Amino acid sequence: MDFILTREQKSMQQAAREFLKAECTSEFVRQMEADDTGCTPEFWRKMVQLDWMALTIPEEYEGVGGSLIDLVLMLEEMGRACAPGPFFSTVVPGITAIVECGSDSQKRDLLPKIADGQLVMTLALAEVATTRWDPHLIGVDAAAAPDGYSINGTKLFVADAHVADTIICVARTSGASADPAGITLFLVDAKTPGIEIRPLQTIGGDKQFEICFKDVKVRQEDILGQLHEGGGHLNRILQIAAVCKCAEMVGGAEKVLEMSSAYAKERRQFGKPIGSFQAVQHHCANMLIDLEGSRYITYKSAWMLDNHLTCDKEVAIAKAWVSEAYKRIAALGHQVQGGAAFMAEHDMTLYSRRAAAAAVTFGDAGYYREVVAGSIGL
Amino acid sequence: MDFRYTEGQIAFKKRLNAFLDKEMTEEIARQNWEDLGVREQAREFSIKLAVNGFLGMSWPKAYGGQGLDHTYDFILLDELGKRWGAHVPLDVGYTMVGPTILRRGSEALKKEFIPQIIAGEIEFCLGYTEPDAGSDLAALRMEAVEDENHYIVNGQKTFNTECHYSEYHWLAARTDLDPAAPKHRSISLFVVDMDSPGVTVRPMMTMSGELTNEVFYDNVRVPKDRMVGEKNKGFYYVMEAIGSERNQVFIPARLLPLLDEMVNYVKETEYRGKPLSEDPLIRAQLAQIAIELEVAKVLADHSRWLESNDLPMTYEPEVTKIFVSETEQRLANMAMQVLGLYGQLMEGSRRVPIRGRIAWEYLHSFMTTLGGGTSEVGRSVIAQRGLGLPRSY
Repeated sequence: MDFILTREQKSMQQAAREFLKAECTSEFVRQMEADDTGCTPEFWRKMVQLDWMALTIPEEYEGVGGSLIDLVLMLEEMGRACAPGPFFSTVVPGITAIVECGSDSQKRDLLPKIADGQLVMTLALAEVATTRWDPHLIGVDAAAAPDGYSINGTKLFVADAHVADTIICVARTSGASADPAGITLFLVDAKTPGIEIRPLQTIGGDKQFEICFKDVKVRQEDILGQLHEGGGHLNRILQIAAVCKCAEMVGGAEKVLEMSSAYAKERRQFGKPIGSFQAVQHHCANMLIDLEGSRYITYKSAWMLDNHLTCDKEVAIAKAWVSEAYKRIAALGHQVQGGAAFMAEHDMTLYSRRAAAAAVTFGDAGYYREVVAGSIGL
Repeated sequence: MDFRYTEGQIAFKKRLNAFLDKEMTEEIARQNWEDLGVREQAREFSIKLAVNGFLGMSWPKAYGGQGLDHTYDFILLDELGKRWGAHVPLDVGYTMVGPTILRRGSEALKKEFIPQIIAGEIEFCLGYTEPDAGSDLAALRMEAVEDENHYIVNGQKTFNTECHYSEYHWLAARTDLDPAAPKHRSISLFVVDMDSPGVTVRPMMTMSGELTNEVFYDNVRVPKDRMVGEKNKGFYYVMEAIGSERNQVFIPARLLPLLDEMVNYVKETEYRGKPLSEDPLIRAQLAQIAIELEVAKVLADHSRWLESNDLPMTYEPEVTKIFVSETEQRLANMAMQVLGLYGQLMEGSRRVPIRGRIAWEYLHSFMTTLGGGTSEVGRSVIAQRGLGLPRSY
């Protein structure tokens, strides 16, 4: 048993932190929240130059061949900095789906382009009927058509759809709408006629969209993985995505705690730093307890996924725990930093808004508690 | 990063489980734990653990140990925990006294006591807390005054658990009586024979039926060579041992059997013709505890890893202690809620569910956030040492 980060991992983490400190200031984050595109070509290009998009792409496809732990460490840094843009949707569900279930020619075609920063991807999964998280509740229909399929229906909460080149659309090719079988993943060119996207206004200040597919034509060779087997493919993709979301949350939570304890040392009332009052100390201690638990359960589930060990329970535990722990940390961060941190321009608000969004992305605590219930024999 | 055990550790665990399958009973587990208190069966079990080579894995070879890393000891505690008793029967000697003697004691003390501890033959009871010295341990008043080759000790201790069956008292007493002396730098540690003339042990009964004690010293003569390490450094010896003690006392695995019992109970118990296990609220309550137990496990694994690699531990074992003890309380509380009316039935009652273990655990759990340091002191330690906030007391 060891919790050691390799020298390479430490230096990658350090480099990422320095880069983001310089290039992704909170002013920049705020600008990007207000901006319709939500990212700049310069910021994207600089990340490409640092090989960030290539991190988890296998070397044979012009990637760096990094592990999921490497990606988790990188995403912690991005979570700390609230890094904007389609990095997560491209590198996490995008790359993962291609690596896990793509054909060799799909990998050869798409992965090098992602590594180069030329291809932005996203996953279109949730639907209007997804009033509770349920990745197998798929009603968007892909009907057999000459030379392929024709997709009809509406997807919701699709991240970065406005800049995506390729959308992974999860669609039903057979069975009833809640059936885990009969789901198929399609690689859809975002410029295909019949695709219409409309923005959603979100609490996290990120860019999410509604996508309407109307008679959108896809070819047989655009199927990702096996026909009707998308439900199974999604399991691992979504597990990796959930753990990666945890990593982002851990990074954000760490930053919130740093801000809060710095404030507690500096802010004086009754002639003393407020950090010398036990009530404030105990808030800070509770934040650290939640942060440590979140970090190690994230590392453990990432390590298990990386090693292809059965870890449905651990991943569910991680997402259930970190989703709620980060919200608690954010709430205490507000409590410690008082009225100043309630102001819209205070950095604390970047984190508390993102905590609320991350908690429901790729499965909320209630959903994963039910997964855990199943895994302990209930 | 690697969350696996080594092959040697896996083999040890396998051998241990084969042994425990044969030798460990719920009765022994409950004696192991404070529940019933160590009696003949647990004493015998202690010797068997030693004879079969399960004690002292991480202790130095020169004193009868195996010289391996701490992970082996943690495996032993986990496997005992999964069977209801998360420490070895004579655990104060094993987890607290032994390591401090090894670190600070004279060669004579090491030679005398370490082999007996590894042989599972002797037990110590902690003699720290006094009526006016709890969280503020350095305020203790028990006095030890030099008299030629002895110290003469007078005063009172309280909440000294295990004293009614231990051979030795691990005593903290004031050895610099100058009122101007800094209180942290005037305390020494002693090993005192429990049968020394002048030592009186009076039982105190807790609400969970676990025994603890008050101990009175009336001109007790303690030989000077029973002082541990240097004079007036005892408080620091106690403090430096705390991280390791937390790691070895707060064992998340001990809570697993309670959750397992509850899983079985809700599957087997019906309400309006359906098993309780189909109620979404009950499923979520049990799942939440399973989640917290896994988080407790990774926190414990992290501070154990620091210890096993001789890395500095500052606030990490405190995080484990607080999280494990509070999870224990949440578990007990959840279980009492799920049991409803039946939760009030005590062991031995007609119609008692789960042999009364839940009601007992509920009562026991009040102590876990007090014993060994309150959660309030713990949180201040985390804030001050982990985050660098200013001192609050």
